[in-house]
Amino acid sequence: MSLCLNRLQEERKQWRRDHPFGFVAKPKRTEQGTLDLKLWSCAVPGKKDTLWDGGSFKLDVIFPDEYPTKPPKCKFTPPLFHPNVYPSGTVCLSILNEEEGWRPAITIKQILLGIQDLLNDPNPESPAQAEAYNMFKKDRPGYERKVRQVVRENPPM
Amino acid sequence: MMASQLTGSDYGTGGPVSESHALVSQLYHPGNQRDPARINEIQTRLQQLQKGENAWEIADSLLRERSAHHRFMGALTFTVKVNVSSGDIDEAMSLEILAQLINHFVAIVNEGEQAMVIRKLASSLTTIFRHPKCSWKRAIWQLAASLANGGYVSEEHAKTVNFLDGVLPALNTQQALALAFFSVALAEDGLRLEVEPQDAKSILERSQANIEDGFLLVLYIMQQISISEAALREDSTEVTLGNEAMSSWKAWLGVYASRYTSTGEGLQSVAISCGQDIIKMLRVPTLSESAATVLTQAFENRRWAFDDSSIGALSQILSDSIVTMHIVAITKGDEGDESMAYVDLLVAYLSYVHLDLFSDPIKPQNVGILTILHGIFKTPGYASIDDPATPRALEYWSEIAESVPSELNTEEPRYQLVKGQLAEVVLGLFNKLLYPSGEDLEGWSEDEKAEFNAFRYEACDYLLSAYPILGVELVSVFQKSATTHLENHDWRGFEAAMFCIAQLSEAVDENGHADQCLDAIFGSDAFSNLCTGSESKIPLKARQTLVDTFGKYESYFERHNTLLAGVLNILFESLSFEPCAQAASRSILTLSKSCARVLTAELPIFLDQFDRFRNKPTATVSTMPKVLEGIATIIQRLPTDQEKVETLERILQFFVQEAQTARKEATTSYEVGQAHAHLVLSCIASIGRGLRADSEDVINLDTSEDQTPNPPSFWNAGPGAWAQQLIMQAMRLLISDFPVDSGIIDSACDILKAGYTESAGLFVFPPHLTVDFFKNFPLGISGTDVIMATASSFLASHASHAGQIRNEAAALIEHVAKLFTIMMEHPNMYDPETANAGIDFLARLLPKYHDVFFALTRPLATSDVQGPPVFFVLLKFTLHALSRPEPLTIRSGSSFWVAMVELRGDNAEETAMIDSILDQLIPLLCDTLINQLAGRCSRSDLPSLNDALRRTIFARTRQARPGIASTLEKLNAQVTDSNGNRVPVFSPQDKSRFLESLMVARGARSQTLELVRSFWLKCRNMSFDYTQ
Repeated sequence: MSLCLNRLQEERKQWRRDHPFGFVAKPKRTEQGTLDLKLWSCAVPGKKDTLWDGGSFKLDVIFPDEYPTKPPKCKFTPPLFHPNVYPSGTVCLSILNEEEGWRPAITIKQILLGIQDLLNDPNPESPAQAEAYNMFKKDRPGYERKVRQVVRENPPM
Repeated sequence: MMASQLTGSDYGTGGPVSESHALVSQLYHPGNQRDPARINEIQTRLQQLQKGENAWEIADSLLRERSAHHRFMGALTFTVKVNVSSGDIDEAMSLEILAQLINHFVAIVNEGEQAMVIRKLASSLTTIFRHPKCSWKRAIWQLAASLANGGYVSEEHAKTVNFLDGVLPALNTQQALALAFFSVALAEDGLRLEVEPQDAKSILERSQANIEDGFLLVLYIMQQISISEAALREDSTEVTLGNEAMSSWKAWLGVYASRYTSTGEGLQSVAISCGQDIIKMLRVPTLSESAATVLTQAFENRRWAFDDSSIGALSQILSDSIVTMHIVAITKGDEGDESMAYVDLLVAYLSYVHLDLFSDPIKPQNVGILTILHGIFKTPGYASIDDPATPRALEYWSEIAESVPSELNTEEPRYQLVKGQLAEVVLGLFNKLLYPSGEDLEGWSEDEKAEFNAFRYEACDYLLSAYPILGVELVSVFQKSATTHLENHDWRGFEAAMFCIAQLSEAVDENGHADQCLDAIFGSDAFSNLCTGSESKIPLKARQTLVDTFGKYESYFERHNTLLAGVLNILFESLSFEPCAQAASRSILTLSKSCARVLTAELPIFLDQFDRFRNKPTATVSTMPKVLEGIATIIQRLPTDQEKVETLERILQFFVQEAQTARKEATTSYEVGQAHAHLVLSCIASIGRGLRADSEDVINLDTSEDQTPNPPSFWNAGPGAWAQQLIMQAMRLLISDFPVDSGIIDSACDILKAGYTESAGLFVFPPHLTVDFFKNFPLGISGTDVIMATASSFLASHASHAGQIRNEAAALIEHVAKLFTIMMEHPNMYDPETANAGIDFLARLLPKYHDVFFALTRPLATSDVQGPPVFFVLLKFTLHALSRPEPLTIRSGSSFWVAMVELRGDNAEETAMIDSILDQLIPLLCDTLINQLAGRCSRSDLPSLNDALRRTIFARTRQARPGIASTLEKLNAQVTDSNGNRVPVFSPQDKSRFLESLMVARGARSQTLELVRSFWLKCRNMSFDYTQ
């Protein structure tokens, strides 16, 4: 088995043994019902006592063949209203950038926790979508209203 | 030297040594315990003394005191002093300290000192061990020999007596325990060294020299324990000794695993022997739980510490020992969390043997283990909440189910064996999936509910993994259960069965493999009764799950559309229940979309149901638009436009009334009015989405240039015109003189966009509507980016006949120019959102509408005749915005200029005009870009600015080169040198080299980016890049 698949197999095991409450991370299935280890279906809950509390936001994590040398791509499905999420749903986060903070030792758990942190603590230095970024910068009540609606529309399973 | 410092004690003379004694006494004096300020004061002074020049004497003296508190502080002082004076310690001094520490260690152990003090001194010993100048190697051996000798023995001398046969048997229990404390501390310290790079290698090598002694000590202790009757007493030293030895094994396994150099494979067999002895401890009641914990951890991380013999012994114990009794007690509800260590061990073992468990035939002890494992699902209580064992057992079965397809051949007898086991799990699991009764649920917190739900999804994940092996039989099990429970009105059982069926949709919905099973449920009389509403007492949870199931079997219902009317009836009914409303509205949408053609006959019923729903509290912005989109999708399938318009008018009239209500509400409360307006416009927008033509009938937008943008049709000039007027009326009511917010703008834009992809229809409005809408909003309003993006979509939808909407395009561009002019003239009104959205709008229109853009040669209508042409105002603004710090404007400005420098006119005249404009503006563009790249912009702006620069160089080299050269010449970037003087960053040669390198790169992306990044780093006086 390749390095990539070995590592993903191990990540799967570790996740089964111990994962943070409210998070979901599992490989998707192929048409035959077997697991596609390079494509995971995940969900990140909003942090308690934040604007995002009560929501669970689904995302796909796509692992390249070069993983863990190269980082996975994390993509909210459907795209999420957030300053650091591109209109396509792709998350803009330094630990997911090969040229910035990515290290092969970073686990799926750390990635998802990092994304959870990002939800309530956006990075205004790296805007990825104009809509959420502009509202975050100049219409905070409107931004918060919209986030609350997003939370209502994404209840936990 | 330290020796003289130690012997020259001032104890009793009032110096620092006696002060430290007094301070320690005061620190622990009961009278001071309630005075934090005093305690803090004492600690501060003690810390000063521990780091001071008399620290060695203080440490030695405190350790000689016959008080645990003083001795503890003495050991701590040694540790602190070794660390703070590390640089002053040479090899000789380290050995001197070592001898002192060993002597103290031996003395306090022999005096029966408390474990806390011995551990602290063991930690001091490891501190000197890891000192880079210390040559101490076989630490455990030497310390053991010293303990046996009653005082310090040199390492060389110690090694003259065999460790296992000579030294260890000479130790009493207390001494062996003290040695075990040290062994654990040394190994754990060795593990920590992995992350300390300096000097780590040599220290780690010395640490590894102790691995064998560490394991031998464990082996020795385990053998002693196994023959000691005292070990059966809960509070005996032997139990502590056994626990310490097991911890020691775990720690040394870690050091062994992290070794840099080969330290002999023989060590592995010693490690395995230790593990086997620890496995035996599982039979000793006082030590079994600790043994289970240590073994579980070793199974998870150090699988090589077990061999076949270990596994054989363990399987025997798991199937028939006190471990078995504990697990069985859990399954009977007699023991709980306190015995989970045994279940964890069972799962760790099973995970280790994996598919080997299912040998053909299965070994007798494994048959026993499987019985216990299946028995876990019978544990009373709810999984995860009061039954922690079931989720652990499920974890193992999920691993097995996932592995079987790739690891076992279907022809193998073992395949059938495993298949049988997986099926048994399904049967055992079912009762665990029953949702708690209302009574049980009352006492649960939200977190507990979420945990139980998570378990149910884990269980379904297992079902999905087992499906490729068990096939449709798996669905059939739940179908039978669902049918029986439905007939008997056992709603909990029905809910659990439907929950499983819903989750299995992923495997069977599209391929139709389980259609027969689904027919048996949805085609039953009991289900028909449910659809007609005669089973109105269906509990909420069962209804919720049923609603979810409908949404998950979209393809099945598409194939069985005769069932749809009944299903949609339940769904509409469920809209009234808050916990079901969201899922019901989603399902109504998906089913209506996929089966619209067959539902047209049901439309009147659905409209009546909608009328009942629309005033319910559950009719919100999250539910009502989905329901309407579904209904509109069915309306779209009506055979004639006349039929469509009649139905649509009925719905739209309601929303015009609602718009009027919202307007009234806004006069007393903005928030209430805005929320209502948002709901109204979202609903109208969703009707627009539903009415969109199907993809197979999609209108071809690439029609001829002569096409009229809004030709007369049924919808704008015929019987449909009134319905269109109703929408425009609702829009006017909620946009003009209304306190709009971003939600309202969003929905209004969705209404406009709904018709952009159609050639005729209710939502295909006259083009001026978009222009009027666009011009309606003042500068700076939140939502400007959505408005401008809508204007871009509008222009894109008419791109094939751009000539037909020149006036509208010009009006939109002029409006943007007006906004830009206001911002240029009034810097305090500068709005980054408008700047970015406006520039983005211009960048998008440039390829198709550049002739309209450059035809705007008049000054703005509001300015005097002397003002520059409109297009020039726009170009100058984009340059201004590009010089500012806002990241999005930098990105859109860069994209705009990329489009601009690559633009070619449609004819020679236009090309000449564009060239002449660029001749004037490229020097300004280069100036803006280079100044931003000279350290002003953020690092994240570099890629977009780089794109603008490199493509300008490539497309307009002739103008770019002098432009960049001139800016570089003026550039006076300075940094502070090591003497504190400000010095220029670049010499003229550096600047020239940078320019030449840019030119040589000729617009190549990564090459230019590399140059630009180094330039930016230099200007910021940063010599480092992101750490890799």
